[in-house]
Amino acid sequence: MMEMINGLMNTMLSNQVSIPLIEPMLDMLQGIPMMGYMIALVLWKPFFAIVICPGLTVGGVSLLFFPWIERKLCARIQWRVGPHEIVWWLGGVIQILADTLRFLFQEVIVHKDAHKRYFLQFPFLTFIAFLLPLLFIPAGNIVAIKTPYGLQIVLLLLCLFPLFVMGLGWASNSRFAYIGTVREAFVYFAEEVPFIIAALAMIILYKTSDLTLMASEQCIPGIILNPIAALTFFIAAAMATSRMPFEIAESDQELCAGPHVEYSGIAFGLIYVLCYEKGYIISGLMTVLFLGGGAGPAIPYLGDLSGAFWFILKTYFVMTTLFVLRTIYPRYRLDQGLKIGWSPMLIMALIALAVSLVEVAVI
Amino acid sequence: MEEEEKDRNIRNVHSGILSPLRRWGTKWSLWPCHFLTSCCGVELAHAGACGFDMERLGTLNMGISRQTNFIIVEGTITRKMARALRIVWEQMPEPRFVNVIGACGQRGGIFWNSYNVTYPWKIVPVDFFIPGCPITPEGLIRGVRAIQEKIDGKDITTIKFKKVELPSGGELEERMVPTTPKLLAPTPEVKIDVKKSVDWAFGNELKGRLKRELEGLYESITITDTNRIAIRATQEKFMDVAQRLSDIMKMDHVKNVNVIDVPHERKYIVEYMVSSYSVDELMPVITTVFTEIRREAEPEFPSLTSLWESANYSEREMHDFFGVRFEGNEGMKGKFLLAPDTPETPLRKDFKIEEERYVIEEGVPLTPPIDPPQYIPHPSSVSEEEYLKMPAYEDVVEEAEKNDEFVAFIGPHHAGSGHLRWVMRMKGDVIVDVIPDPGYVHRGIEKLAENRLYIQNIPLAERPNITDCINMNLGYVRAIEDALGTEVPERAKYMRTIMAELSRIGAFFYDMGIFPLFMGHSSGFMYSFAIREMVLELIVRMTGSRCTPSFIIPGGIRRDIPDDVLDLTRNFTTAINKRLKKFENIFVNNPVLISRMKDVGVLTREEAIKFGIVGPFLRASGVEYDVRKVAPYEVYDKLDWEATTGDAGDCLGRIFGRLEEIKQSVRIVKQAVDAVREMPRGNVISEEILGDYKEASGDIKGYLYNVYGNLVLPKGEWTSVTESARGTVLYSIISDGESNVPYRVRVITPCWMNLRGIIEASKGGRVADFWTVYASFGYFPPEADR
Repeated sequence: MMEMINGLMNTMLSNQVSIPLIEPMLDMLQGIPMMGYMIALVLWKPFFAIVICPGLTVGGVSLLFFPWIERKLCARIQWRVGPHEIVWWLGGVIQILADTLRFLFQEVIVHKDAHKRYFLQFPFLTFIAFLLPLLFIPAGNIVAIKTPYGLQIVLLLLCLFPLFVMGLGWASNSRFAYIGTVREAFVYFAEEVPFIIAALAMIILYKTSDLTLMASEQCIPGIILNPIAALTFFIAAAMATSRMPFEIAESDQELCAGPHVEYSGIAFGLIYVLCYEKGYIISGLMTVLFLGGGAGPAIPYLGDLSGAFWFILKTYFVMTTLFVLRTIYPRYRLDQGLKIGWSPMLIMALIALAVSLVEVAVI
Repeated sequence: MEEEEKDRNIRNVHSGILSPLRRWGTKWSLWPCHFLTSCCGVELAHAGACGFDMERLGTLNMGISRQTNFIIVEGTITRKMARALRIVWEQMPEPRFVNVIGACGQRGGIFWNSYNVTYPWKIVPVDFFIPGCPITPEGLIRGVRAIQEKIDGKDITTIKFKKVELPSGGELEERMVPTTPKLLAPTPEVKIDVKKSVDWAFGNELKGRLKRELEGLYESITITDTNRIAIRATQEKFMDVAQRLSDIMKMDHVKNVNVIDVPHERKYIVEYMVSSYSVDELMPVITTVFTEIRREAEPEFPSLTSLWESANYSEREMHDFFGVRFEGNEGMKGKFLLAPDTPETPLRKDFKIEEERYVIEEGVPLTPPIDPPQYIPHPSSVSEEEYLKMPAYEDVVEEAEKNDEFVAFIGPHHAGSGHLRWVMRMKGDVIVDVIPDPGYVHRGIEKLAENRLYIQNIPLAERPNITDCINMNLGYVRAIEDALGTEVPERAKYMRTIMAELSRIGAFFYDMGIFPLFMGHSSGFMYSFAIREMVLELIVRMTGSRCTPSFIIPGGIRRDIPDDVLDLTRNFTTAINKRLKKFENIFVNNPVLISRMKDVGVLTREEAIKFGIVGPFLRASGVEYDVRKVAPYEVYDKLDWEATTGDAGDCLGRIFGRLEEIKQSVRIVKQAVDAVREMPRGNVISEEILGDYKEASGDIKGYLYNVYGNLVLPKGEWTSVTESARGTVLYSIISDGESNVPYRVRVITPCWMNLRGIIEASKGGRVADFWTVYASFGYFPPEADR
């Protein structure tokens, strides 16, 4: 028994997140019985990645504050204030908390035509499934599962997103949800192919698909090495996360949020944050592939967290750009969206592939 | 409303262990579903836009009832809308709150005795009332605050007014109890072709030509006013007259279809007002063709839709109002504007609505008790499925299913439907057909106007379209002035022009605010409402009201506008440029938007004329018809401006045309203000109409009832056409020459005419294009429904 624990301890201790800033505190805590094990567990890189960064904690905090950032920023662009009164001296920063609480305590209506079981299961399933890619995305050198096929697995998991959304729409059994679901399926196909090809171009360029290596080997960021791939990836990300101008499936004024039209209460609350979650993951991936992941001037006090810090900062930057698009563009029609996906973007993706091949051959 | 339903939501948030958290969350996250029920919705849009920014309170407008917890009932709930209100309320998850804004929501407001109005508080439990007609955005935000306070535990239901003791000057005088000021002729003589000798050379020529062309078919041809000719025909030969007018005289559209009920002579007068867009000299002329038919329960009359497609919807409307069956019109099966439980044929004279009482009597309620629609509350005789089911077009659904099509019912509560319902048949992503179901804001102002004094009808006339209030007001007043032959003082004419153009600018920015919303572009909405806020500020300073000034009165305007406001208006004409530029950059010149609008929803010149499109949308299709140019009124002929025309006829053309028009409007305002500033101060109300009260010529305050209370129009039909922001608005007042209330008032608003255009332009397009077309027409449902 003890051997096993000691073995486990050694494994964990050999792979610890080092944060010089809090080391004195940790030393003090070591004196408390059993606390050593706890600290070792928390600071064990895979565990740290899942629970703290880039996983649940940072992800959760992002979901709680990012909508506020978006609403505030959009409000600024639109000549107004945005959420403000709730704690006026902080600019209404906990607005989303209030919304969450409201959704949490609201009635969840299951209408008569819905497929009751799936209708209730899908929002939760979707929420959990959407978290899976976070296991493979490295924040600096902190990653939950390090595998040479990281990018492929993340892409595969990202491909699951639309399936779940279609499930939501199907279980709702409503006319608007039906149209929205069909649109979602169309847009998904149009966006997924250039998206994958653009990612593929980066695999060729970096000659690896291990996300940690991909991030760390970028002495020049991918966006400079292959800007076309970056642009394709960004547009495809906007389509994948249903951002303007590609908010075609959920179009509020046409289909009343399409697949989610029938959801209420906390079920809708979960769906509402889904697009932010999706945005977080795809922005994270974009950061790793094109912006050098956690690369940045090292901050000595933060140690390993320095990389994570830069990663989060860059991810937020991409996410903000992605979300602020909605103040600039109206939405495309379905056929226009599909056309963009299947012709210019596909061509751009292929050019990006060619660029990668040429660069690899030349260098 | 049952007592237990009331305040249930408040009790709901106060129960449970976690109730403090629940209360706090609910309080700061009141999301209204924008269930636009009436004209107060304009002010809701303002409250949400950047001027007032409701989102500060965490109140985010959301279009979907399932995900919201707050209804703001904006004003009148008609019998048709009542069902929708209840459905939306039932759809919302608990706890849910209801706020009623506007006077109509409490006791019917200005429409208190309408046949189609009901009270929201009989349909859903209401938490808070905010009075006002319309309420201001500040008032609305105060209502949201009140709900927050109510969640915190305060017991309030409406704004409490302070009671003030007025100092009384000793003993009160005994005065006679005022009686009703209405003078009604018991058996009025209704004649719509009263001859008037006018100096109109072309009229005599035209009369001669008509006599030649219609030889043997007509009974009489009369010139009733400048640019107005009335042709009387028998019922048998009516069709032939219409045929000749259409074929030979090239009269290509119907401006108005009207039925006048004359019960004491046992007849209906059916009239069609036709005019021409294809012949230039006939453009300002309105030819009235009318006949008398016997008054029966359901009289039949041949429909003229085969000649003039533009008469289609108006004929259906007349079928609803009078029960006249227009044979050949396919819409005669059911009701078009009215709800199934609205009283039958409400505009017949024998259907009486509640009279106004001028004396408060003991025990008699001030407003009539209105029974809520039958389906509220849930009747035990009806099954769960049938309860609150919106009437479905079963034949349409069946036919669509046969053809492998998909049917969607859109509205009246839909983020992109406005206050009406569309039945959309689509095949794949292509629209096969759209069937409109209007009338959700039909408040029956035509009937109400028959029961009020001429001067009391002014507020009524502008309620259908409070986004373009001045032009609506102006149209009605011009009809009265035409009848009386009043000459308006020069200064007042300029003032009216300034205000009318400001109102046009305001309406344009309203439509340009709704358009981006339908495209999912909230910045465009915010930018254009910011500019509209400036326009409203000017109108407030001029008149004292944001949307419903009732400022233009027969013979002039209520009072002179001070110089500093005129200077401010002059500044506005330059200040708007910068903001307009920003708006154009973010919205109009947006590449995504242009790709959405170009070649979408095309109406060719012929189609536009055929379906009777009016206003800037007609001009966008290439017809050069602007009432301000064709039959100039006020001072439009003295100023330097151009009417805009396009030829594309697509959504982009409609938008660019209106944008160009706004620049012309700014030009007009600039010139008019400069002209007024140089003018010496003088009368703003015609002395002719003031009579003994000449001292009121600068300000009517205190003399309004004395001067206008007993206004009687000469016998005949008085028609005015005015170019409002969205097109030609036509008022037709029929007076019997004895009563001081109109015998019949007919209002044709531009949106009512453009409704057909939306349907035709969107057919064959993509599903998403429907909203582009809809918004490009600037459709404003209260205006269409009247």
